[in-house]
Amino acid sequence: MIMLGVLNQEAAISGIDFNTLGLLAGMMVVVAITRRSGVFQYVAVWSAKKVQARPWGILLMLSVVTALFSALLDNVTTVLLIAPVTLLICNELKTSPYPFLFAEIFSSNIGGTATLIGDPPNIMIGSAVGLSFNDFLLNLAPVTPLIMLVTLAIIYVVWGRHLQASDETRHRIMQFREKEAITDVRLLKQSLLVLALVITGFVLAEHLHLEPATIAMFGAALLLLLSNLKNKAEDESENVHKTFGDVEWITIFFFIGLFIIVKGIEEAGVLRILADRVMGFTGGDISVTAMAILWVSAIASALVDNIPFVATMIPLIKSMAPGFGGAEAIMPLWWSLALGACLGGNGSLVGASANLIVAGLAERAGHRINFLKFMTLAFPMMLLTIVIASVYVYLRYLY
Amino acid sequence: MNLESILIPTRVAIPGTMVSVVFSECIRANIPGIPFCDAEGRITGRITLKNILKTSCLPEYMVELANVLGNQLSCMEDVEAKAKQLMHNPVDPYVQGPHVSLASESLPVKALALMEQNDTSYSFVVDADRYRGVITIQGLARMLASFDDTHVDL
Repeated sequence: MIMLGVLNQEAAISGIDFNTLGLLAGMMVVVAITRRSGVFQYVAVWSAKKVQARPWGILLMLSVVTALFSALLDNVTTVLLIAPVTLLICNELKTSPYPFLFAEIFSSNIGGTATLIGDPPNIMIGSAVGLSFNDFLLNLAPVTPLIMLVTLAIIYVVWGRHLQASDETRHRIMQFREKEAITDVRLLKQSLLVLALVITGFVLAEHLHLEPATIAMFGAALLLLLSNLKNKAEDESENVHKTFGDVEWITIFFFIGLFIIVKGIEEAGVLRILADRVMGFTGGDISVTAMAILWVSAIASALVDNIPFVATMIPLIKSMAPGFGGAEAIMPLWWSLALGACLGGNGSLVGASANLIVAGLAERAGHRINFLKFMTLAFPMMLLTIVIASVYVYLRYLY
Repeated sequence: MNLESILIPTRVAIPGTMVSVVFSECIRANIPGIPFCDAEGRITGRITLKNILKTSCLPEYMVELANVLGNQLSCMEDVEAKAKQLMHNPVDPYVQGPHVSLASESLPVKALALMEQNDTSYSFVVDADRYRGVITIQGLARMLASFDDTHVDL
């Protein structure tokens, strides 16, 4: 954009949303340290044993655990932690992992919809519009249990009622030693303490007058400090290097590039023209516009990466505000965009990074997930979740 | 002081060599791996016990969850039959890229430095494109220990 003369360097840098980058990087550091304690694997194996290793019970528990983790961590990290446990359990139960992995893909995207930090589109929307953790919790979290329930009901009808395992194979699962997943009790306590502080910080952010990025970065710095307290100097250095090595720098730089491109498109006036077109198409009706955003976001997010889509939609929706009577009037549009972009990711294997990660792990374990087979059920199920989301948005904000 | 004294001559694997042959050679010489050569005798890669075992016996998710594994696992069923089958497989799918190598006239400290640089505990020894054998970290340790009068072979 700079080389083409659309932006100068100052304008390009001003387009970068450092709050989004700070929140992403801070949470990446917190999660990278926390996962080393083994707590997430402990919870996954514990939950499977809690239901006496019954296949449907395991599917249900792992789905709920995935949704809860996804609400607090990013989706990719969540499935990277849960999918290996699933593959191991299914191998021991001598059952196909497909229904389990399918349910986990849906759960990760549904769980991620519920909070500010659950999915990158929410982080971007929250940062651009100034929405807090509580705003997401109050506006998006209420609909996610219903969407989860409907999704699991369909999975039960399609696969769940047929899932079976012998006593012998279930006994193998009951022999798993979940406590041995906890490799460092001190680190576990420190990580859970900092994670709790960070979540509390997000909830109280408005009262503390702190941005989410500040809270995440503070949590990351605190956990880095705590986890190195009793280390020798060379171990400290190695630990810090390892932690920063776990930060997904490609994602961070992808966001930086994306923000600059969107800024360039915005400066060139393309988004203003698009916004006028959308307003003309919807007749300036907020309900029609909200539904259009919800459905277009969902379908687009099923087919292409939802992050660039949301990055483009944010300035587009912002520029519609004057036409609808101000920033407060377009709040339903933001919730429609978040619901559409996050839930739409369930529509196909390429809809979300987490889906591709699960497919990759499954393939390497000898269980290839066919793109079309997945989409045949996933796309209609995703559309059903969008129907639920549409009814929710309409009744709550537009009726 | 060079590497001749600790050199372990070994066979090499070629296309079609059975896994059982590589296992026998590595167990005999007490080394982690041997070179893989093409039809002209050039070293094009390496075959290691670790990679054969990892690729054929260990799914990725099991490594991730090593700590939680119990005492009963389905992969241990019919282990005898599976082992026999593995031994009769050709090694070709298990070939990895070329390994660190050095000349027999090199100093032991260079061997140590190369092993450290490549995070390994063995190296191939090649003189003028001719494979001579393997040196290991145990060989280097034995060489150093031999200077100590109090060293006792257990």
